[in-house]
Amino acid sequence: MKRLFVTTSFGAVALCTLLLAPIQGCTDLTETPPSQITKGNFFRSEGEVLAALAGVYHPLIGTTGEGDYWGSSEVSTDEIVVPTRGQDWYDNGSWLDLHRQTWTATSSATLSYFNNAWNNAFGGVARANVLLDAIKGGSVPNQASIEAEARALRAFYYYTLMDLFGGVPLATTSEIKERPRATRDSIFKFIESELLAVRPDLPLTRTAANNGRFTRGAVDAILASMYINAGVFTKDAGGFSATTYNSCAGINVAGGKTACQAAVDRVDSILNSGVYQLADTFAKNFRADNNLSPENIFVVKFAAATDLGFNMLQRTLHYSQFNPSPWNGFSILAQTYNAFDSLDRRRKVFLVGPQVNVETGQPVEDRAHNPLVFTTTIANVTAATEGEGVRIYKWPADPGHVAQNNGNDFAWFRLSEMYLIKAEAKLDGAAGSSTPLALLRAVRARAFATDTLSAVTLPVILRERLFEFASEGKRRQDLIRFGVYTQPWEFKTGPEGQEPKRVLMPIPQGQIDANPLLNQNTGY
Amino acid sequence: MHLSRHVGPILAFLSVLAAPLAAQNGAVRGQVVDSVTQQGLLGATVLIQGQPRQTATGADGNFTLSDVPPGTVVLKVTRIGYGPQTKSVTITAGATAEARFVLSPQASLLEAVVVTGYGTQRREAITGSVSNVDAAAANVGVKTNVDQMLQGRAAGVDIIQNNGEPGAGMQILIRGGSSISSSNEPLYVIDGVAINNVATQPEGMAAGAPPLPRNPMNLINPGDIASITILKDASASAIYGSRAANGVVLIETKHGTTAGTSTITYDGYVSAASPSKRLDILSGPEYRGFVTQQVGVFVADTALCPTPTPADSVAYKACFGKARGLDPKHLAGLGSSNTDWYRAITRTAVTHNHNLSFSGGSEDTRYRASLNYMNQPGVAIANGLERIQGMLSANHRAFDNRLRLATTVTTSRSNDTYITYENTGGFEGGVFLNMAVFNPTQPVTVTDSTGTHYYESGSSSVRNPVALARQIANVGSTTRTLGNASAEFDLTSGLTAKVALGLDHSSGDRQIYFPNANPLGVSLGGGLAQQASLNNATRTLQTLLTFNRQVGVSSFDVVGGYEYTKFSSNLIGAQGVGFFTDAFGYNNLSVATSKTNWSDAESWRLVSFLSRANYGYKDKYFVTGILRYDGSSKFATGHEWALFPGLSASWKLSQEGFAQSLPFSDLKLRVGYGRIGNPGIPPYQSLIVLQGGTGGSYPWGDASKSGVYPSLNGNPNLKWEQTGEFNVGVDFGLWGNRLAGSAEYYVKNTSDLLEYVSAPAPAQNSLTLVNVGKLHNNGIELTLDALAASRPNLTWRSGLTFAAQRNKVVTLGPFSFVRSGRVSGQGQSDQWAERLLPGQPLGTFYGPVFVGVDTAGKQLFRCGTPSASCVNGRTTSPLANDYAVIGNANPKFTFGFRNQVTFGKFDISALIRGSVGQDVFNNTALVYSTKGNALQDKNFLRPALTDPTGLHEPAIYSSRWVEKASFVRLQNLTVDYALDLPALTRNARSAHLYVSVDNLLVLTGYSGLDPEVSNLNQGSLNPDAGVAARGIDYLSYPRPRTVTGGLRLVF
Repeated sequence: MKRLFVTTSFGAVALCTLLLAPIQGCTDLTETPPSQITKGNFFRSEGEVLAALAGVYHPLIGTTGEGDYWGSSEVSTDEIVVPTRGQDWYDNGSWLDLHRQTWTATSSATLSYFNNAWNNAFGGVARANVLLDAIKGGSVPNQASIEAEARALRAFYYYTLMDLFGGVPLATTSEIKERPRATRDSIFKFIESELLAVRPDLPLTRTAANNGRFTRGAVDAILASMYINAGVFTKDAGGFSATTYNSCAGINVAGGKTACQAAVDRVDSILNSGVYQLADTFAKNFRADNNLSPENIFVVKFAAATDLGFNMLQRTLHYSQFNPSPWNGFSILAQTYNAFDSLDRRRKVFLVGPQVNVETGQPVEDRAHNPLVFTTTIANVTAATEGEGVRIYKWPADPGHVAQNNGNDFAWFRLSEMYLIKAEAKLDGAAGSSTPLALLRAVRARAFATDTLSAVTLPVILRERLFEFASEGKRRQDLIRFGVYTQPWEFKTGPEGQEPKRVLMPIPQGQIDANPLLNQNTGY
Repeated sequence: MHLSRHVGPILAFLSVLAAPLAAQNGAVRGQVVDSVTQQGLLGATVLIQGQPRQTATGADGNFTLSDVPPGTVVLKVTRIGYGPQTKSVTITAGATAEARFVLSPQASLLEAVVVTGYGTQRREAITGSVSNVDAAAANVGVKTNVDQMLQGRAAGVDIIQNNGEPGAGMQILIRGGSSISSSNEPLYVIDGVAINNVATQPEGMAAGAPPLPRNPMNLINPGDIASITILKDASASAIYGSRAANGVVLIETKHGTTAGTSTITYDGYVSAASPSKRLDILSGPEYRGFVTQQVGVFVADTALCPTPTPADSVAYKACFGKARGLDPKHLAGLGSSNTDWYRAITRTAVTHNHNLSFSGGSEDTRYRASLNYMNQPGVAIANGLERIQGMLSANHRAFDNRLRLATTVTTSRSNDTYITYENTGGFEGGVFLNMAVFNPTQPVTVTDSTGTHYYESGSSSVRNPVALARQIANVGSTTRTLGNASAEFDLTSGLTAKVALGLDHSSGDRQIYFPNANPLGVSLGGGLAQQASLNNATRTLQTLLTFNRQVGVSSFDVVGGYEYTKFSSNLIGAQGVGFFTDAFGYNNLSVATSKTNWSDAESWRLVSFLSRANYGYKDKYFVTGILRYDGSSKFATGHEWALFPGLSASWKLSQEGFAQSLPFSDLKLRVGYGRIGNPGIPPYQSLIVLQGGTGGSYPWGDASKSGVYPSLNGNPNLKWEQTGEFNVGVDFGLWGNRLAGSAEYYVKNTSDLLEYVSAPAPAQNSLTLVNVGKLHNNGIELTLDALAASRPNLTWRSGLTFAAQRNKVVTLGPFSFVRSGRVSGQGQSDQWAERLLPGQPLGTFYGPVFVGVDTAGKQLFRCGTPSASCVNGRTTSPLANDYAVIGNANPKFTFGFRNQVTFGKFDISALIRGSVGQDVFNNTALVYSTKGNALQDKNFLRPALTDPTGLHEPAIYSSRWVEKASFVRLQNLTVDYALDLPALTRNARSAHLYVSVDNLLVLTGYSGLDPEVSNLNQGSLNPDAGVAARGIDYLSYPRPRTVTGGLRLVF
């Protein structure tokens, strides 16, 4: 049989040679993708390298997404719940799984939201690694600052991973392989050393055309956040308390300082840079033109363009309040709304009572043609009505929006947070100018006509952070640092949500399947 | 001088060619008759063995063969449906010999020569598993493509049309499919050239997910098909190597066959189609009655519960949730009309189809030309398929039949008009979705000060379905040309060389406009227009050497060849959003306020060396060996090439002495094994490539910075998915082949499954295409053909196909499970209906087990671990470990039963198909038989009226919605009458008038529209869409019941 095959094939090859060889070659299978680029023929000019750098920035958009880092950090807390409204928003029970903290390694919240957050952040890490590998030793213009940006972005993606999952695989090359989890402390040290190393190569400010790209201020802000959370971030599961405050005191970081002192130093570096100042109104930080806010230090940029816009209002507003029709989902818990002082101007970010179309200002109706009214309470989280629940409307609609794409930027770090970090670090024993009270009053000056705050304690800091940063993706991190993440709250009353293991998310089962070197977090 | 040197040989050559003409020859004439009726048989082939001479009998069964050299020759007569017969005749120069043949009818209607790929084989020499479908018998009723002709006619070939949309795609599983995420489509080979079976039009966009693509096989007019052969097992299909994993469908088109005479055929029909079943939605009065009654029993929570102090007191919350009925405000949502929305969007659709063909030629040159026009509107309004198609084939032979040339060109233009509906997901914009939920107390149109316009509720989540169908423009067109040319030359006796060239080129367009006149158009940004164009080209070169020889008692049949195929495609598209007028439609994108465009291109190559050898000994023992060596540019360097072997043997027991006492007129045992591959993945997956577009862009400043990102991880070990298959079969005939059939058993193992799986993080793409996992299939198939009656004036033929098939995921590599089959509908995000689990079949439903409804109207599910929410093994909120296997989408067995009775001038045929034991997830019922829809002023399905589930209960996927879906379908019933034609015209050779009904009756216990549902996402490589989901029924386009009247004339 084989001989027969060989003979006939030989004949066929002879024919092929006659007919085809001059044109194409008989067995040539080399294929070059016509509409994609292979690594070898790219990264040769600054323009090409900057295009790849934009690709490293892109996953920042995902950190604010519906269920990714942002959603996991908000819906799993006492701030936001996504009630089931009739048919709507049941979604395999995933939102209630998230809010009630009943998740397991294979439950719906994990397979969807935690898995998305994991993939999105690691995608950013991988993109940075491909870029850094490709330009290593090269000499495109501004090589050093481009490398610095890519490394800083990689460090930020690791920051979100470390926050949600604890220790994760650490990769600084683009090779795809199974890697074990590094300890949380070593991820902390990696982020810290990377940010400190690239800081000198980054500019202090950016031109308007480059607004949103990394600056020294952004590096300092991430570091300040790392240091204030050092009591949590340097510890693996069980190493820190789920039920008491996790102080930055007594933890040594780079340069031999305590973490609390390092936090104050980073904040001072920002305050003394002369680049930032608190916006005169709170609202300026969130409008479509918030790229002009002097307060925003590190933002996720959005543009009113297809696939590049901010869509928070789709998630929160009622179907008839905007065009295209929003989804009537995310609601603020009554206890959170009620915690706000009625005189606090920051309470205006919430929509309660009779509602209007946010574009036209005209009163709107619910689907049964009755005036739409948002109530404070949600009676039954599994059977909510259309109008139940306070809505967050912190980022107002962009007048130039393209469909659901609004141009409002989302700030990960605003200057006001630096004030609050400094106040908290000082309460924890760090030295530095200003008192905690003065720092808080500086932030509150635009919120109150008359500020009656007279004393600052740790619980005051936590409350102030809620008022200032509601819906800004900080709540889970804050609750864990303050040791109250596993306490019961409205709609989270079951014993599962009070287990100490909840301070770290489970590694999604599919990720463990893909990489058997990964160990699951304690308790899952 | 030079000339004279050439003239001699040429003259000598010409004289050789002319020799037969000059010599004094004889002739033979005679008649072929049916042994039962003693009537002459039309169309029997009469040939002289060992000579190129052959002819066919006329209507009276008479034939004449002239110019036969003197001597004793063996005449052989064959005809479909009859046993062959041979006879020795002595020819004398200048005289005419006589011969009479009496043929006995047999059960099977199969050709004696079978197309097996890269050539043909005698049926008795076949050693693998090969099915044939009688193209003429299958082409009854409304058949728009070849796939529909295979339904129920070949055992082990499971074909489901996606839905009732004209031109809808089909999903074909031969022996259960062999892949999880790669393609499960068989390879189609038309006239020897493999077709690149990909979408020919750019994807549409809808408000939900775009509908499934239309059938690429719409290209070929069923009326042009002469024969269909299906290579089912690997020992036969290995000749197609890497592309054969899902079986091979070989289609031969009709060529000019009759010498000397010309034939003109007209075949036309008109049919009327209407939906065979309707969704059971509430009428206007019923809906009004429900709302009124619920308002009557309304008790608000606030009426029951004390004033909350504090606002979120435990007592207050415990009290809440006990409200009953509907708030009186819902009365405001009631209108005064009674609209049957199902009726409003469906219709009786009248289809026209006309075929005209003519053929003829001389002994050496033959031609056939045909033209087809078809216009098939859908049973839903505002959509349909129109096709015009032409085909031209010519054959020529020269040098005493040593050189044979053939060329065929088919070109078709199809125009598709679409409506927006979705097969999955989405809760806006779909016509069928809104048909189900749009308030039946509201009218289709209203007249007010602005004139008459469609009624819209003002609510954003429901749209007037009639307006959606009528106002949104969504059209596509495809022009596809398939051409091939071949030259065959006999080098020496038995040794033939062949060169063939094939081209398959398609060019498809898609145009869409969502106008401002429709609220959906407004919500998409003030009018949205899209234009896109897709060009595909496949070029094939084949060189073949074939060798046929009979040496004593041994027969050799060998083919070897080389094949080179290049595939390329090119896509370009543009979109505009924001139009100040609807007047331009999709024709003027430049006036849009926001514009985007895109383009894409890809190409890949396949290079193959192939050979097949068949050895026969004493016409009793046969062995076939196949080797194919394939190289594909889709795979990683070092893994492009693979060898695909096949080995099979047969033993004709009925030729043995010991078998003569058995009642078998024919008995053959076959055994074979082969290995085949599946390359159904996109190209470049082995490379790390950088991709542009939105996934790499980011706004710096206020402007978007166009960027790139590494989109693929690049698997350097990517290789073929391989399937090994063992097949054993027995072919038998009883009582002179009045009962014939075959039984087969096969075992199929697929390894190195191509799957997208999570990559170890960090990776550029969280998913990597890898070779992982194993799949196992086995099954039995039974085919029976019976000549139940054969009397003068009555012939009754019966055929049965039966198949039972089992598949099992053996392993998924390191993965414990893969989710599959997204649940569709509002509130169903992140809900998956199925799981791929090791040890379970593909299409395993996985979810909570429904145990009932409690007195408060809450759905209860089985739970394992007792806890606060799990009491007495029951819970209202199932957790991850309460999920279990709740169904299997695979049938226990399927069958097809066909009958054909010829009674005088009547010919009655019926085809019954059935499928037993499968489960279907009724996603439509899950989402739309929830009375809580009334909370949003939405209609629902009638069964919810008597359902104890509470008004406030969301739709929760569970075993409750997984139903038994066995069915028996009377697929087609046709009555044909042969007209006595001389009264009509002197020239017609035959004329038939027929009435045919498709989908006449379905017997099933399934509660949904139709128990036969498409396998969503089959072959999808997009893991977000789910892989290999089977048996999910969601708002499909209704299947029609069609009545057809037609006429066939042959002149």
